[in-house]
Amino acid sequence: MTDDMPSEESINALVGHQFPGGTYTIAHWENFLLTECTGAEPLPEDLAHPVALFHVPILGAGTSIAEMFELGQAESGVSIGIESYDWEFFKPLREERPYNITGVISSAERKQQDGRTYDRIQFQFDLHDQDEAPAARTTVTWHYRRTAP
Amino acid sequence: MNIKQGDEIPSWDMPSVLPERMRTMAAILRDPYPVHWDRSVVEKMGLGPRTINQGPLGLSYMVNMLHEWTGFGSIKRLRMTFPLPVFEGDHIIAKGKVTAVREENGERFADCEIWLDRDGSRPLEGSATVLLSAE
Repeated sequence: MTDDMPSEESINALVGHQFPGGTYTIAHWENFLLTECTGAEPLPEDLAHPVALFHVPILGAGTSIAEMFELGQAESGVSIGIESYDWEFFKPLREERPYNITGVISSAERKQQDGRTYDRIQFQFDLHDQDEAPAARTTVTWHYRRTAP
Repeated sequence: MNIKQGDEIPSWDMPSVLPERMRTMAAILRDPYPVHWDRSVVEKMGLGPRTINQGPLGLSYMVNMLHEWTGFGSIKRLRMTFPLPVFEGDHIIAKGKVTAVREENGERFADCEIWLDRDGSRPLEGSATVLLSAE
């Protein structure tokens, strides 16, 4: 985490940043606990709870929430705000199946609103199953709030 | 089930958002954001002494509502914004309304406005598209 406001150029330069990519398999135990956290009963057959589409792409692309904070030079863990999620499911997610995952920073720009400065950074992740058919896409947009120098 | 524009989606109730679930969720997500498990951090932010629910968990209540309405595997798209935090202990009700019913490539879809209700406020709000063939 950093105390200095990063330059606008360094934020803009994040566009196109590719995460390493990789494979992720949703384990049964993981899906069971995740579903329990949502207040729902376990899903039938081998269906994964759709809310897995938050962490599975991030971890499967070879990054982490902590690294995403660092890439945007977050001032602290509490300086991040969520703008939006856009999740598309091309087929239901399932347990114990490997997904190939890629991720990229698709947008990064400095914004001013009500006298405050923040950097709006958008991450896009794509999931494909093992025969390379698209399974899901997620776009996560965060605000990195900056304090005045 | 004959779903049409203007229909209300049967609501889904979360009587109390539990801090224990936020902690389990933080571990699953590998989420280092302390507001989900350290009350003192939230208090220092001036937001009171209760931990803040993860965004995906709030969204999951709407997913559960949609599952009970149109079935597992029916969700095609979710768009969500997060205007207000949800805190531990909050009573939250997931709600929704059908904004359009349409056909595409021989399948029927419902576009919906969805949100979380907390005493009349909407801490999370967005939209969903569900496949009605899975009804």
